Amino acid sequence: MPGADKETDLGERIEAFLAELKRGGRGSGETARSTAALLRRITAQARWSSAGDLMEIIRKEGRRMTAAQPSETTVGNMVRRVLKIIREEYARSRGSSEEADQQESLHKLLTSGGSSEENFRQHFAPLKANVIEAINELLTELEGTTDNIAMQALEHIHSNEVIMTIGRSRTVEAFLKDAARKRKFHVIVAECAPFCQGHEMATSLSEDGIETTVIPDAAIFAVMSRVNKVIIGTQTVLANGGLRAVNGTHTLALAAKHHSTPLIVCAPMFKLSPQVPGQNSLTCVNAHCPVFDYVPPELITLFISNIGGNAPSYIYRLMSELYHPEDHEL
Amino acid sequence: VDNRKLVEYFRTQMSQDPDVASAVAAIRSLLEFLKRDQSETILGLRENLTKAIGRLQEADSSVAVSSGGELFLRFISLTSLENPDLSQCRNVMIERGELFLKKISLSRGKVAKLCHTFIKDGAKILTHSSSRVVLKVLESAAADKKRFTVYVTESQPDSAGKLMADKLRRLNIPVTVVLDAAVGYIMEKVDLVIVGAEGVVESGGIINKIGTYQMAVCSKAHNKPFYVVAESFKFVRLYPLNQQDVPHRFKYKADTLKTAEDLNQEHPIIDYTPPSLITLLFTDLGVLTPSAVSDELIKLYL
Repeated sequence: MPGADKETDLGERIEAFLAELKRGGRGSGETARSTAALLRRITAQARWSSAGDLMEIIRKEGRRMTAAQPSETTVGNMVRRVLKIIREEYARSRGSSEEADQQESLHKLLTSGGSSEENFRQHFAPLKANVIEAINELLTELEGTTDNIAMQALEHIHSNEVIMTIGRSRTVEAFLKDAARKRKFHVIVAECAPFCQGHEMATSLSEDGIETTVIPDAAIFAVMSRVNKVIIGTQTVLANGGLRAVNGTHTLALAAKHHSTPLIVCAPMFKLSPQVPGQNSLTCVNAHCPVFDYVPPELITLFISNIGGNAPSYIYRLMSELYHPEDHEL
Repeated sequence: VDNRKLVEYFRTQMSQDPDVASAVAAIRSLLEFLKRDQSETILGLRENLTKAIGRLQEADSSVAVSSGGELFLRFISLTSLENPDLSQCRNVMIERGELFLKKISLSRGKVAKLCHTFIKDGAKILTHSSSRVVLKVLESAAADKKRFTVYVTESQPDSAGKLMADKLRRLNIPVTVVLDAAVGYIMEKVDLVIVGAEGVVESGGIINKIGTYQMAVCSKAHNKPFYVVAESFKFVRLYPLNQQDVPHRFKYKADTLKTAEDLNQEHPIIDYTPPSLITLLFTDLGVLTPSAVSDELIKLYL
């Protein structure tokens, strides 16, 4: 039966995805794209009749995916984005205004009359096509994130500046290479032991003609007085505006604060996660991945993402636009 | 409708259920007032309500009653915008008012559910004075089989901290009462600080029992997280820039305001803690950073 074939095919793809997640080693951008593509496939091929069913299926698969690799938060973020997309498309099909029913707020508490429990049980024929189209838009956005961030480089990097970075971030690499096309500046890379990914970063940057110096992590504070800006990537942006970044980033941030050097974080929006530090301690991190640091929001000057530059205190607002509060816990 | 009866109703509400938040009791009394009100126009209703809220504030000058009253007025305005005819409007208001009351009586539970995951096994918690929300949070954490110890300040002039310690002892939570002056001394031992709030102001700061500001400054100096737990109906439209900016009517008890000759000689019972000292706020609307509070207020009032 064609239906059964589709389902087994879907099941196989999900298992293959989970196996790849467990192996790890992929960049977060790639993980985000493949997660979104898989969710689009689930929407297209799984059997569901109402938005509520689809959300249940996606939530279930999402829980399995996050359990396979807890340190890769982009998987959970993409699941939450898709859940929010489904809610919005459902609301649009029903004809109600999207903003009004979405967030829990004082305003909603005061004006709602009667039980407004939304159970997403109504069936709408064009819902499937709308959701798939919205996920396609999400995929287009994901493909363009690195370029969108790199485009903003010229506003932030000026000639003859000394920029410091740590480890290897593909986003920061693209950012610096884009600025190097028009400006001449010097980059200092902290090697970031024990994996020393800083060495690869330095090689890659110097291939593009950027003057690069590699320093050991211990020398960060000593060199900081000569640095104009610190630009780093991160693994996750937390809900309070803090970071979960590669080990050594907190040291870098403290040194920058001490010298009043601006700390700029280049992070695409799919790295924004509704977690708050303190809920799950950083000890439940898989040993395959680099060990992480928590950087508090007070040490960060600016977040550069694919939608522009924002202060850490604004992160809560971006979060409420990307995810629905009920999806914070999958 | 007699304003004296309103104040009596409010007082009976507070005494019947000592666990109820003063803002909830205020809103309940105002809803009763609304049911018995005889005005013919919405404007008349608003005027009567404003006078009633004024009387309530004279009876109990806390920030919570003020925020509850303002919230109720806002509720009336929003509902009357949709139904301009008063008789229809009144029924809708009463129905929604009951629903609203039911929802906000659940807020404390929501806050406790959010916050207790932040209390880890073996944690040492410092709290200030007696807060029913903090009590609920600690209760949930204890019910979750977490082991932790609590230090609570005595909190003069009314020794409310001792009441809090009694309540905690009844829940079998190990608790120690410390002097208000011992906050700096004890800060190196504790892992986190959790306090309640009487009011949350627009900047994201809080108004709470005197001594909270000291505790916040100490915890910042020692790099300990300072958490505030408050329900969303405590959000109030004030923006104090320093301690002097907080209006007198909140700083002193209602009786003191009426009888005192020179307010400068009286001791204030609340203080203002600026948002820069607060790590996170736990509310029934979610875990908020101080900057998110003004967003919530704007959504409501503008």
